[in-house]
Amino acid sequence: MKQWLTLYKKELLEMVRNYKWIWVPLTFILIAVKEPMTLYYMPQIIDSLGGLPEGAVIELPVPSAGEALAASLSQYNTLGVLIIVLITMGVIAGERKSGVAGIILVKPVSYARFVTAKWAGVMLLIWFSYFCGYFLSWYYVGILFEFISFTDFIQSFFVYGIWLTFVLTITIFFNSFLQSPGAVGFITMGITILLSLVSSSLSHLLDWSPALLSVYTNTLIMGNGFPEELMPTILISLFMIILSLFASIAIFRKRELA
Amino acid sequence: MEILEGINWAILAPIVIIQLILMVVAIFDLVRIEKTDGPKWVWALVILFINLLGPIMYFIFGRRSY
Repeated sequence: MKQWLTLYKKELLEMVRNYKWIWVPLTFILIAVKEPMTLYYMPQIIDSLGGLPEGAVIELPVPSAGEALAASLSQYNTLGVLIIVLITMGVIAGERKSGVAGIILVKPVSYARFVTAKWAGVMLLIWFSYFCGYFLSWYYVGILFEFISFTDFIQSFFVYGIWLTFVLTITIFFNSFLQSPGAVGFITMGITILLSLVSSSLSHLLDWSPALLSVYTNTLIMGNGFPEELMPTILISLFMIILSLFASIAIFRKRELA
Repeated sequence: MEILEGINWAILAPIVIIQLILMVVAIFDLVRIEKTDGPKWVWALVILFINLLGPIMYFIFGRRSY
């Protein structure tokens, strides 16, 4: 446990040194908060861009508070996932390239501790950033539109967080055996996009797919209650997260620094 | 500029401040860092002139150590 804490502290210190603790939360806040504001100011934005014939009247339906918050989440589904993959893709692969992993692993450090400390480090960073961004977005939606009940907010926060955790764990998984960070990022993005596309087009067959967590979160935010497919989906996602974590430890142990 | 008057600055200010912080931190890091991926002056231009995305792109692609 002591060894694990040392590795974990090393991860956190490294993220302080390369400013991840500053820019990742701020970026997540920007991504999330931008969306309700754009929706709110849409009429003014269209006005100022001009180009409309004189007297043209555009009636924009005022989005509901739920729609505005869901818009923030859809930003996380694209930009947020992209940022998570980009900052995680070098976590192990990069250290292996630069030789840091070799320096650490010649000491009697267990592979499981090495991998899980890294995973937990990024987890803390991402969940912290995600909470800041999502909470502020919820607050802005409350000011600009109307407040969504706090329980709905917290529930949707945790449900959607599982999807982000899933993406993160998959990235760590590919880190365990691919050499180049670029390849890790590319493959993880490909898999995430493919999974989202397949699950949303075949949603009647794959209603437990982790990629559908975002869809279920939207139902939650809109105040339509807990969809019955949600519980199995959460369980399957958690199971897959744990499975890929174990798999990455096993593969990493075998491949080592090859 | 009547459009500017219609906007509530108390709502918009946090976004502007966050952008400024990102920009300042990125520039501060760029000055102190030994080597970047690509010429330093290009990154300075990117950080200063690409709105919103510039500092983020610098942190992800500019300062990678591998």
